Amino acid sequence: MSESLDEFRARARAWLQANVPHHAAPMEGPESRDYALAWQKRQYEGGWAGLTWPQAYGGREASVLQQIAWFEEYARANAPSTHNACFVGTNHAGPTLIACGTDEQKSFHLPRIMKGEVIWCQGFSEPNTGSDLASLRTKGVVEGDELVVNGQKIWSSYADIADYQELLLRTDPDSARHHGLSWVICKMDTPGITVRPIKTMAGPAKFAEVFYDNVRIPLSNVVGGLNNGWKTAMSTLGFERGTASLALQISLGQRVEELIAANKDVALAETLMDLRADAAALRAMSYQFAVKSETGPVGSEGSMIRLYFAELAQRVAKASIEIFGIAAPNVLEEHGLGFDYFDAYSETIAGGTAEIQRNIIAERVLGLPRGSR
Amino acid sequence: MSHAVQFDLSEDQSAILGGLEQLIGTLNIEAPKDPVVSAYSQPLDDELTTGGFFEITQSEGFGLLDGALIVEALAKLPVSVEAAASILIAPSFLEDAGRRPVALVSGSAAAPARFLPMAKTLLVDKGDDVLRIDIPEGAVEDVETLFAYPYGRLKNPGALPAVSLGAGRVAELRRRWRMAIAVEAAGLMQSALDTVLEHVKTRQQFGRPIGSFQAVQHRLVMAAEQGQATRWLALRAAWSDSEADAAIAATYAQDATPKFCNDLHQFCGAMGLTLEFPLHHWTYRLRALLGEMGGSSGSALAAADAVWAGKVP
Ligand SMILES: Cc1cc2nc3c(=O)[nH]c(=O)nc-3n(C[C@H](O)[C@H](O)[C@H](O)COP(=O)(O)OP(=O)(O)OC[C@H]3O[C@@H](n4cnc5c(N)ncnc54)[C@H](O)[C@@H]3O)c2cc1C
Repeated sequence: MSESLDEFRARARAWLQANVPHHAAPMEGPESRDYALAWQKRQYEGGWAGLTWPQAYGGREASVLQQIAWFEEYARANAPSTHNACFVGTNHAGPTLIACGTDEQKSFHLPRIMKGEVIWCQGFSEPNTGSDLASLRTKGVVEGDELVVNGQKIWSSYADIADYQELLLRTDPDSARHHGLSWVICKMDTPGITVRPIKTMAGPAKFAEVFYDNVRIPLSNVVGGLNNGWKTAMSTLGFERGTASLALQISLGQRVEELIAANKDVALAETLMDLRADAAALRAMSYQFAVKSETGPVGSEGSMIRLYFAELAQRVAKASIEIFGIAAPNVLEEHGLGFDYFDAYSETIAGGTAEIQRNIIAERVLGLPRGSR
Repeated sequence: MSHAVQFDLSEDQSAILGGLEQLIGTLNIEAPKDPVVSAYSQPLDDELTTGGFFEITQSEGFGLLDGALIVEALAKLPVSVEAAASILIAPSFLEDAGRRPVALVSGSAAAPARFLPMAKTLLVDKGDDVLRIDIPEGAVEDVETLFAYPYGRLKNPGALPAVSLGAGRVAELRRRWRMAIAVEAAGLMQSALDTVLEHVKTRQQFGRPIGSFQAVQHRLVMAAEQGQATRWLALRAAWSDSEADAAIAATYAQDATPKFCNDLHQFCGAMGLTLEFPLHHWTYRLRALLGEMGGSSGSALAAADAVWAGKVP
């Protein structure tokens, strides 16, 4: 007999209660790597990893309602943020390999990602290539059965502690814009790679610059075909808009409830109730969207939810400071005020800025004419 | 009462600000090169002391407005120095002007306070009293924050003698503190905006400066409006020294700050979130001011109280 949703939820709650780590996640360096991998491994062993992945690749293929129940329990249990060093592997590189990888690539990498054995990072952005990703210039030249890579990436989160990087390169020297790119698996200990961590406003070094000096990558590491990298990169963009951020959205709602409980100042009542209404609206939109995503491809409305979340997070951070002031607990710890604040800022920048997303929403959801860019 | 509809710097004010600019010029103050979370300029503090800037409001022919202009100018620097409390608050609360820098705290003397690591005096707003505490060497421990001001906390507040200044001083302390918040915010906002304007003019994406996109332009114009509004409300508060003006100026500044900072960081992309880009020198501090005196909602209640003369429930 199949398990009911309530039973599923009860099982998730019990498992989380027994297994969520008690000490907070370290914020950078090898300790943050060990912590993220250990947590991923524990979820795998408990049968909770890869909820969204197909069964053929060791995933659970959980229904959307189960995913929602899991993430609600996850937030309630104060489990480690899903935005940790395993995020790129489980939510980006893994799904890209599932969509576009060869059997060999899939059978080698997917189990390692799922079992918490490897950290992945993303190497798309460059110093002069941010919002305009198609302008990237780091090049890979085919030499025999290898690509020889030269150039520079930046803002690569966790690059300093990663085993692999999903690297977007210009492999056709005569190409322009989104033509002639390749999506490549780059092993981070290959000779010629130098990583320089960059300190963020939140204190720790969360991302890094990566330099490539005649780095040799086997052609068999190209995913989705040589010079077809744009399509490969775009194949997983939708994935991130589905349920991957549910945990963060649910945690934010919980954070609002915590603020309401902590507040003693009647002057903030209106602000807090506004935030509560926003959190409820966000929950309704994201659940509705997630359920819809189960029955077919979802459009760009996911971008609207993401923006709503990001901007609400920014206002929650403001209310936190008003309530707790400088005496706010754990300003410097993960999920402390400093982090919430920083995370809230980066939410409207990382993975496509709010302005670029609004351009997309205006065009694709509202059907407005394309502006000049 | 005359209305300061027109505001041009007087000759004296121009001279003082010119002198300040010169002094800052000789110190060659630049944004710290290595990523640091907080930078206090002791050399600047020393020079300002020598130059008599902290006593400006007691000098013949000068007042709070002149003091405010100095506080605003200092806030524009990428380093911090304790000036607002010394200039706008201390003169009527300290017997000895030498007992600065001054730190301020609400509620408990044990709470962390800006500038406490170097402060010689702490003023505590107890709600029904103002306490003045002389701070001996070694009485303070540093508190690490993400606010770019040096923060500290008294190790053993109970052990330090506190002078009660009386319930009658609470309103004055709050008024001046709110004035100080608004004036300082005005200076911080201006430098933050200048930094971002420079960035969007030079940074190119899609083959053109990002400052040419209307989505960017419109919000930067709104940020500029907020900066201007903060400035004029702050200067008005310093000019009138009235409860309502000070509370309204602080409410506006504290309310505008989050959106203002957000937009500014937004247009600097990932670069703007690093300690290698100077913007945080000002936005960190703006964020700290946001949490003082009950934040924008606390200041709004104070404003309502002042405007309706205590008739607000
Ligand atoms: C925390 C964090 C983690 C990240 N991790 C990674 C990672 O792991 N791997 C990786 O490759 N990258 C990563 N990034 C980089 C991210 O993808 C880029 O920051 C993002 O694409 C924006 O590029 P940019 O920072 O260069 O900003 P810019 O492109 O310079 O944009 C600056 C401003 O101009 C605006 N703008 C640009 N074009 C337009 C337009 N046409 N219309 C209106 N406004 C416009 C933008 O919206 C923005 O406000 C990360 C970023 C952050 C903040």
